[in-house]
Amino acid sequence: MRFGLRCLLLGLCLCATAASVRAAPAVVIVSSDASAAYAEAVQALVGELVQGGLAPADVQRMTAAEFAAAPLPPSMSTPKLFIALGAQAALALARAQPQLPAPVLCALLPRSAFERVLQLSGRKASAQFSGLVLDQPLGRQLSLVRLALPQTTHLGVLLGPESKALAPTLAGLAVARGFNVVEANVDQNEPVFTGLRQVLEGAQVLLALPDPAVFNANSLQNILLTSFRARVPVVAFSPAYVRAGALLALYATPAQTGQQAGELALGVLRGRALPAQPIEPRVFSISVNAHVARSLDLTLDADRLTQELSRSEARP
Amino acid sequence: MTYKPLRPLVLAKCLLSLSLAFQVSLQAAEQPLDGLSEKDFLSDMPVILSVSRLPQRLDDTPGAVTILDRDMIRRSGARDVADLLRLVPGFQTSNSFEGVAPLASYHGGFDGFSNRIQLLIDGRSAYSSYFIGNVAPGMQAVALQDIERIEVLRGSNSAAYGARAVLGVINIVTRHTGDTVGTRASVTAGENRIRDAYARVGWGQEGATYRLAMDRRGDRGLAGELGASERDNFNFRADLSPDASTLVQLRAGGMQINSGRGIPNDAGNPRRDSFFSSQYVQLDWSRSLGQDSDLSMTASRTQELYRDSFPIFLKQLRPGRLRPGLNPALIFGANDTVTAGFGGTASNDTVSVQHTFRANPELRVVWGGELRRERVQSPPLYGSGKVFETDFTRMFGNAEWRMRPDLVLNAGAMAEKSSDSGNSLAPRLMLNWHVAPGHTLRAGVTRGERPPSALEKNTSITYVLKSSIFPIPPIPFKFARPSPDLQPETVTARELGYFADMPSLGLGLDVRVFSEQMSGFVTQVEEGVTRSYVNGPQFSIRGLEYQLKWRPWSGASVGFNQALIDIGSPIAGESNAAPSHATTLMFTQKLPRDVELTLIHQQSSQATFQAGSEINEQGIKRTDLRLGVPLRWGANRGELAFVVQNVGAPYQDYRPIFSFERRAYLTLSFEH
Repeated sequence: MRFGLRCLLLGLCLCATAASVRAAPAVVIVSSDASAAYAEAVQALVGELVQGGLAPADVQRMTAAEFAAAPLPPSMSTPKLFIALGAQAALALARAQPQLPAPVLCALLPRSAFERVLQLSGRKASAQFSGLVLDQPLGRQLSLVRLALPQTTHLGVLLGPESKALAPTLAGLAVARGFNVVEANVDQNEPVFTGLRQVLEGAQVLLALPDPAVFNANSLQNILLTSFRARVPVVAFSPAYVRAGALLALYATPAQTGQQAGELALGVLRGRALPAQPIEPRVFSISVNAHVARSLDLTLDADRLTQELSRSEARP
Repeated sequence: MTYKPLRPLVLAKCLLSLSLAFQVSLQAAEQPLDGLSEKDFLSDMPVILSVSRLPQRLDDTPGAVTILDRDMIRRSGARDVADLLRLVPGFQTSNSFEGVAPLASYHGGFDGFSNRIQLLIDGRSAYSSYFIGNVAPGMQAVALQDIERIEVLRGSNSAAYGARAVLGVINIVTRHTGDTVGTRASVTAGENRIRDAYARVGWGQEGATYRLAMDRRGDRGLAGELGASERDNFNFRADLSPDASTLVQLRAGGMQINSGRGIPNDAGNPRRDSFFSSQYVQLDWSRSLGQDSDLSMTASRTQELYRDSFPIFLKQLRPGRLRPGLNPALIFGANDTVTAGFGGTASNDTVSVQHTFRANPELRVVWGGELRRERVQSPPLYGSGKVFETDFTRMFGNAEWRMRPDLVLNAGAMAEKSSDSGNSLAPRLMLNWHVAPGHTLRAGVTRGERPPSALEKNTSITYVLKSSIFPIPPIPFKFARPSPDLQPETVTARELGYFADMPSLGLGLDVRVFSEQMSGFVTQVEEGVTRSYVNGPQFSIRGLEYQLKWRPWSGASVGFNQALIDIGSPIAGESNAAPSHATTLMFTQKLPRDVELTLIHQQSSQATFQAGSEINEQGIKRTDLRLGVPLRWGANRGELAFVVQNVGAPYQDYRPIFSFERRAYLTLSFEH
C-alpha cells in the first residue's frame, strides 16, 4: 500500500515536470542576484501577475548569472515579456544574442544605470526595451521638502559627475516652488568636504541626489555628522539613509517597484506596449527618523506626509 | 611625585607623524567607485546619528540650561570664558588674576576660588584639584575662537557629573576639526596694554581632520593690581573615523599663565610674579553598535604646576598681623624674612566608559563608570613633600523615560567612592511636562555631595620666624592647620521651571525657581592667624532666575537675564556671597552692509568680593559696546571689531582696591 502511494506521487511529480518543460512561460524575470531586495521585488511582481490571472507556472525566475549561463533554453523560445530587476540583469538581457524575441522591461535600477546599459549594448529606449527607474521625480522631492519643512527657502545640493546633469531641471523646478538652490560640485575622487561646507553655509536643507561619488558608505558619516552640527536636515533617497541619520527619505520600495512592474507586464500580456521612454515610480514611500526630527525640534509623521504628498499630486 | 612636563615640540612632532600615518592608511583603503546602481538605493548603511550622538532637547533636559553659541561668543566682544559667563543668570565673574585666573561662580562666590561647579572641556574635567579646587585656570585653557558652544547646566548636577557639580556645570564644546579646515588669525590691541593674538591651522581630509591653535591673552590687569597678566595656550585636536561606525578623537594641549600678584603696601602679600601651567592629553573612542546602542571610552591625563614663592619681610608686617598686641617692627630686623608660597604640582588620570542605549522608543538609558586618580603635592601648603593621592571610582546612570508623549521623566544617580572620604550617592528625579507645543513645565529634586578637597582637609602651613635683633628662640606660627574631621557638604536642590520656545514670535524663555539647601557647607575659619576649615551651619540658597531671548525685528536679538538670590547663611560674608539682584541685557542689531552692533549692560547689587570677607559696597554697573565690520577679499574673510568694555565709571572687582576701568580695543581677524 505504502509502496503504491509512493509510486503514484513519483508519477505525478514526473508528469508535472514534463508539463512545465513543454509549456513556455509567459514572463521571464531575471534578477541581478538573489539577495533580499530582489526577492522582495520578485515576490510582489509575481503576486501582481497572479492577481492579474497568470498562473505561477507561467512565470520563470532566474538570476543574471543563470541567464548568462543558458540564455535561451528550448523551453523559453516564446515568452511574451522579459523583466530585468537590477542593472546587471538589464545588461545581461540587453546583450543577449540573438536579441530576445520579446519586449524587455528593466526595473529596479536608477535612470543613469539604464542609460549606461543602453550605451554599452548599443540599444535604444523603446517599447521593446523600456525601463521603470528607481529615481523619484525631482518635482515630487521638492514638493516633499515644501510639505515637511515649509520654512525652507534655501535648498542645498551636492552635485557629482552623475547628478550634475540634473542641475538645470532642478533649478527650474526649484524656482517654481520658491526655493533658492545652493549647489556645489564634487568631482570624482575628490573629498565631499569642501563642497559640503560651502553648501551648509547657505542652505537650510540638504537634498541628497544619488551619485556614488558624493553619497557612499565612506562619505556618509562626514555628511550626516557635519549637517547635523549645522542643524541642516538631510532629505535622502533611501530608507537606509534615514536609519543612518537622514531626517527624511522619499523612495520606492522593491515591493512597490515589483508591483508597478507587474502592472506594466499585465498590460503587455493584454496587448499594450511598454512605454517608449523609461518611467518613474508612480507609488512611493516616505521614512522619517523620529529621533533626528526630535533633536532638530521637528514633528513629522511619515504617513501623514505620504498622504498629503499623494493628495497634492492628485490635484490637477 | 615627579613632575614631567610634556614638551610642546616633541608632542607636536608626534601628533604630526600620527596624522600623516593615518592619512596614508586612509588613502590605501580607498576603493574606486563604480557608477550609480540600484545598490546605492537598496544597500544598508552604517548608523551614523546613533542614540548618543543625538543630544537631548532643551525641553527634555532635567534642569535649566543656558547655551552660549559661537555667534553670541563672537558678538559679545569677551576675551575669555569667565567674562562671557556674565551673560548667564546666577553667575558672578571677576576679571582679576589674583585667584590664578578670572573667576566665575554660580549662586555665590564664597571664597577666592570657585569649587562648587564642574568644568568640562569636550568631556574632560578641567576642574583644577590644586588649591581648594578651582575652575578658573581651566576656563583659560581653550581659545574662544575654537569654541562651538558653552552649555551651562544651572543647578546641582552631581547625579550626572559627580561631586564637583554640586551647584552646576560649565560644559565647553570645541569646534569639530572638519569645520575649521584652513587658517585663521586675529590680533587685538587696545587700552590697558591689551595684546591678544590667535592663530590656527586646520587640515586633513574626509575621515581624518586636524587642528592646531595657539592663543594669547595679555593686558596690564585691573587698576590697582600689581603686574601684568599673560596667558598662552595651545590646543591640538584630531578627529578620525577608522570606519563608518567608529569615531576617535585625540586632543592635547598646554597652557601657562604669568601674572603679577600681591597687594600694595602689604608685606604679607607682596608684589611678585606667579606662574601656572597645565598640560593634558585626551583620547576618546566611540562606536555605534546600531541605531539604538553606542559605546564610548575616554582616557585623559591632566597635570598642573604652580609657582608662587616670595619672601615676607617680617619687620614690615602691620602691628597685630601675627598676634594681637604684637608689633613686628619692634621685634624683627630689616633683613628678617620668611619664605612663603603656594607652589606645587597636581595631576589627574581618568578612564571612563559609557554605554547609551534605547531600550524602546520611549526609554533612553545612559550608564557607565569612571576611575580617576588625583595627586596633589605642595610642600608650602601641606608642610611636607607628601603626595596626597585620592582614588575615585564612580558608577552612574540616567534613564530618560517618555511616559507619555507630553511627559518625560529623567531619573538618574551617581555613586562615587573616594579613597579619602568614603562613599556618596547623588540621585535626581526631574519631570518635564510639555503642557502645550513650545511650553514645558519642569519640577524636580536632586541631592549632591562634595567631599572636602585635599587642601581643605590637609593643609598645614607653619612658618618659623627668627629675629636677628632679639636672642629669642625661633617662634613657630601656624598659619593653617589640617581639618581631619571635615565632612562632605551636601546640597539638596528643589526646582520648578518653565521653558518656552515660540519661534513664530521669535521668543524663548527659561524660568527657574530654586531652593538649594546646603548642609555641612565647608567654610574657612580663623583662630588668630591659623586658618582651618569646618562644616558650617545649614542654610538655603533660594531665588528665581530667568533668561529671555527675543528677536523683535529683522536683524535684532535681545537676551535679557535676571537673578534674584537670597542666601540664608548666618555668616555675613556667605550671606552676601551673591548679589541679591543681578541683571544682564545683551542686544545685537545687524546694520546695513552686515555691520553688527552689540550692546551689553550688566547691573548687580552689592555682594562679597570673590576673594571673600569684604562686602563690595558698590555693586557692578557695566556697559559694553561692540561694532563689527565684516571684511571680504576674494575667498578670504575677516572682521574688524571695535569694542569698548565698561563705557562708564570703573567698578570694584575682587578687592576694594582693584577696579575695572574702561578698556577700548580693536580686533582684526582673517580667515582663509
